[in-house]
Parts: sequence; structure tokens; C-alpha cells
Amino acid sequence: MDRNIKISIRNLYKIFGPTPDIALAHVRKGMGKAELLEKHNHVLGLQDINVDIHEGEITVIMGLSGSGKSTLIRHLNRLIEPTAGEVEVDGENVLAYDEDKLRKLRREQMSMVFQKFALLPHKTVLENAGMALLVRGYSVQDFEGEAKKWLARVGLEGNEYQYPHQLSGGMQQRVGIARALASNSPIMLMDEAFSALDPLIRSDMQDLLLELQDELQKTVVFITHDLDESLKLADHLVILKEGHIVQQGEPQEILMNPNDSYITDFISDINRARVLRVRSIMEKTKAAPEECAGDISERDNLESVIARSNGDTSLTYRVVRKGNQVGILKMEELVKALVPLDASEGDARSRY
Amino acid sequence: MATYDFIFSALGLEDWCAEGQSDAPMSMAALLQKTQGTTGEPESLWDTPFPSMDALNESCAAFPQSRDLTKGLEEGFLSIKDSLSVVLDPLTQPLSWALDGTLYGMLNTPWWIVIPVLLAVVFFVTKSWKLVGFVAVSLCLLAFIDYYRYAMETLSIIFVCAFICVLLGVPIGIAMSRNDMMQRLTVPVLDMLQTLPPFVYLIPLIFLFSVTESKLYGIAIILYAIVPVIRLTNLGIRLVDKDVIEAADAFGMTSHQKLFKVQIPLALPNIMAGVNQTIMMSLAMVVIASLVSAPGLGVLVLQGIRNLELGVGLVAGLGIVILAVILDRVTKASLARINASQNQ
Repeated sequence: MDRNIKISIRNLYKIFGPTPDIALAHVRKGMGKAELLEKHNHVLGLQDINVDIHEGEITVIMGLSGSGKSTLIRHLNRLIEPTAGEVEVDGENVLAYDEDKLRKLRREQMSMVFQKFALLPHKTVLENAGMALLVRGYSVQDFEGEAKKWLARVGLEGNEYQYPHQLSGGMQQRVGIARALASNSPIMLMDEAFSALDPLIRSDMQDLLLELQDELQKTVVFITHDLDESLKLADHLVILKEGHIVQQGEPQEILMNPNDSYITDFISDINRARVLRVRSIMEKTKAAPEECAGDISERDNLESVIARSNGDTSLTYRVVRKGNQVGILKMEELVKALVPLDASEGDARSRY
Repeated sequence: MATYDFIFSALGLEDWCAEGQSDAPMSMAALLQKTQGTTGEPESLWDTPFPSMDALNESCAAFPQSRDLTKGLEEGFLSIKDSLSVVLDPLTQPLSWALDGTLYGMLNTPWWIVIPVLLAVVFFVTKSWKLVGFVAVSLCLLAFIDYYRYAMETLSIIFVCAFICVLLGVPIGIAMSRNDMMQRLTVPVLDMLQTLPPFVYLIPLIFLFSVTESKLYGIAIILYAIVPVIRLTNLGIRLVDKDVIEAADAFGMTSHQKLFKVQIPLALPNIMAGVNQTIMMSLAMVVIASLVSAPGLGVLVLQGIRNLELGVGLVAGLGIVILAVILDRVTKASLARINASQNQ
């Protein structure tokens, strides 16, 4: 990783209940979530979270409902206060901020997109998109141009003077994204931003996000419960389970080397051909293959390679990065990689 | 002797009781008993009286009777009345001015100005010609049967009182919604105001203020009618979508911005429902307040009851119904407009 660390989360704990400090001591001594709930009636929300979020990357935090992912993202802008731990943004400890500094952080450093859109129903689309600027004290005339620009960028030209309830769910979330972009903040927090949308629109929105990301290089923290979504978007994937991190790393890496039966179960259902990329399974070599069927990019997914080979498993391709060979891919290897790891195989490695 | 003598003798309080012997006027029951020559001793267990203040007083003269309680309350109230008046009089004086001024203005402007102005207001808040027509017909009908003056008096009082209710009630409701302690303290007061029979407000008010002052009925109406607007403002703000509030927080709104840009606008439908209720309750109270010299249609109803003038009472009652329908329809129509401009 050559990029700077934008947000750093260190030893973060969150315990819900009347006396979290006492409960925290128990958790540090090794008490589990179920036991804590039963004996002390406290809910363990997050346990010893350590994540580095790099600048200009999409960090996806994935987990099932109740895994604490929404709680975690709300710690970044302190919508929820942690029980213990540190959150640093650009090297500054956010938890030490007073109200004014925190407000400045929320206004200028971080913007947020919500699962249920959370637009202001009594304001027009334009005013909603400019909300961050309105909050900073600009008038509608001041931010009209900026808001219109971002609305057009997310494909909502001509809807500026409608009200949110006149738009479909997908369009409302586009307003939500335009609102976050218009704030011009370097960090974007997306809390299950696409979960409430139907599959086709969700896929559109994912493409839109990737497209915007290519252009803007924001630091995005994206929460989802959908593995396909997380694999599509993530530069860095963090998998949460019951409040702790099971595994984090590059998504391809996690896919090829899951370290927990939980993850193995998780990834056993996905379409590996679409998710896996050539670079994850190629044989790294500079030596030219004996029979080369052609060049493929290391970023291609396996599906496209299969389509290209017409299903012929005897072929060998040369893998190139910017015109230089970085490895070779035998179609035989590709077919083997499509078989998911046996779920039971992971049990032995189970750490938790 | 009396039934509960044993309590006082057991406690050794006979001396204290004896001190209380006096020749104060007897209660009617005691007098009757004396003349009939019966003793206080009950014949059987069946007739044992509840150990009430009066029953205990029979055994021990020093024990207060229940009439001492009501009398004490009255004396207590009268003794703080003067100092209370010093504070309340100047505080409430603007209410008198507002009521008198509005009444004077409404009644001394010619009808051919007042009625069009009212219709213009109706159109402005509802944007519905149908409703304007309905209000015009109703007002002309009332004027035609010579009830114009009374109806206008009633309307003026309602306008002033409802306006003050909103002016006070909305901030109280907002304070309640932002502070749980405040809510816990306010709710019992609101419950009491809502359940006390309206006549009961009038009693202390009559002692505090002169019946000739218009603020007397003004206060009675406001106390009765302010409850819904407070409750619904509180409820409306508390019901604002948590997600939207969270978004407001996430974008760094100050609590001031949140209140005026998010919470109040989103609570407006509920607040307006409260205003509608408040206006309807003012109308109900303005009739009762005619007992304490509030002018308007209520006076005619009262006249109908006092003089057994059936016709006057019924027509005045009908006039009140017409006013009620007008006020309800107009406020509901403006509420519907607010709703339409917000959610679906």
C-alpha cells in the first residue's frame, strides 16, 4: 500500500448498556458476547476493532445484520461515542474534539449517504443536494450551481425542483449521493447506501459509484451485507461478525485464502468466475508461454477469459500489465479455481 | 359517646380533645341528633360510620371537621390573593387590551369590510373557492338573522385566544420535546387542565380578577384550549424521522439549525392539527365563559337557559355550530395543504 492512511481505528470497543465501563473490563478479560448479555445485560457492539482506511480507496465493511457494521461507521463521525479506543482522521484524534471541531469535521471532512436516503421531505431536490452547503451558511443562490453540477453528474438533470417523494427510490439515493458529493468532503461514509434498492438499480448505482470514484478518488467507507456488492466495490474488505473483525484485506486475497469457516461459508455461494480476477490465480512468471492464445489483462475477471476462450480448457494466455508480461494463465488452472473451497476445510483454521 | 372515642383515649389525647370544646356552631346533623335525643353511639356494627373527619370530630372536639378543610383552603387562597394579583395583574393586562381591542375593531368596522376581509383570509389559507363560498353563505345567514354582532364577538375572542395559545403553546411543546424532564413535569399539568371540568377554572379566576375585566374569560379559554397545541407540538417533533435527524447531525447542523430547518417544518402537520383542536376547544369554552361576562353567542345561549327562551337558545346554538364548522373546515383545509406540500 503506497497510499496514506486517512482514517485509523485503534482498539475500538463499543458496549451498549447502563455501565459500559464495568462491562468493558469483563470483555477485556475475555468474556464473550452471549455471556456478557446473559450475566451483565450489556450488549457487546464492537470488540477490538483495528482498521486502517487508506486515502482514495473504497473500504468495504461487510457483515450480516447485527454484526455491528452500522455502529462502526457511526463512530467515524461520532454519531455514536465509543466505549474505548481511538479514531484518528489525518492523524488527529477525533474523540478529543469538542463540539465545534466535531461539527467542522462533519461539515467539511465527512459526508454520509444513508440506507433510507434521509432526505428532507419538505425541500426540493436542489435544496437537498445543497444541504451541506446550506448548513455552512450559504444561500440557495450561492450553491445552486454546485448542487446542479452534482445532480447532473449523478443523472438527475431536470429534477432539481421536484420534491423527494416524487422520485423513485433509486433517484432519491442519487440525490443522497449528490448531497454527499456537493459537500466536497474528502471522506464519504456510505451506510448500506444501496441495500434498499432493487437489484438492477443497485447494480447501476454501484457502477455509478465506481465511475465517480475513478474520477474523484475520495476515501469511501462503504457498509453492506451483500458479498457480491462488497467484492465489486472493495479495494479493502473488512468482514465483521458479532462485533469483531474476522478477516480483512484485499478482496481477492480473502477469496483465495479465507481464514475462517464463517468466511468460507460466505463465499461458497458467489459466482467466482465473475469476482475472481486473473492476477489472483495466474502463475507469476516472465517466461513466455509455449503456446500463447493471446494477451489478457491482469484485471480481467475469469468470466471474460472463459468467454474469450470459448470454453477451450487447453489454452494458455499471457497476462499483461501495461503491455508487459507479468504472468501466464492456463485455462486448466482457471477451471480449478472456480471450484469453491470446501466449507469444512476451513473449520480447522477457525480462530474464533 | 361517639364511635371512635377509644382511639383518642388509647392515644391519651383526651386532654387535647377537651381543649377543643367550644360553642362553635354545630353541624346540621349534630343539631338534629340533639333535638331528637339520640346519642352518637351506633346501635350495631352495621351502622358504624367511616372514620372520617366529621366522625372523629364527634369523638374529639379538637379534631378538625371537613368544612374546616374547605374553609382553610378558601382562607389560604384569599390571603395570597392580593400578592398574587400584584404579579398576575400586570402580566395578564395585555390580554385584556388584546381582547378589548380586537372586539372594538371587529365591531366598529362596517360589515361590508369585515366579511370580505374574512373571506380573503379564508381564500389565502385554503386556496379553495368552494370553502370561500360556504363561509360567505354562512356568515351572510348569521348576519341576516341579526346574529352578526354576536358571531363577530365570538370570532374575535377565539382569534385572540387561539393566537395566544399558539404563541405560548408551540414554544412549550418544543421545550417538552427537547427535554424529557420538562415533559415529565408538564404532562401531569396538561392532564389536569384537560380533565378539570371547565367550570372549575372559573372559580379561582373570579376571585383573582374582576368579572368586568375581559382577561378573566380570556385566561379561562386559554387554559382550557392550550393543551392540544402543546401536546401535538411535542408529539410532532418527537415523531420526526430519526433517519432525517441523523442525517442533519451527520452534515453538522447545529441544534438551532436542526430545530428550524428540520424539526419544526417536519412537525408542522402535527402542530397544525393541534391548532385546529385548540380553535375548536376555544369555541367550546367561549360559550361557558359567557357565565363570566364573555360576550358573543354564548350570552344568547345563557339567556335562553335563564329566561327559558327556547328559540333564542336554539338559534344561538345553531350559530355556534355554524362557526364551529367554518373554523374546522378552514383549518383542516390549510392543514391538508401543508400535508400535500410535504409527504405524499
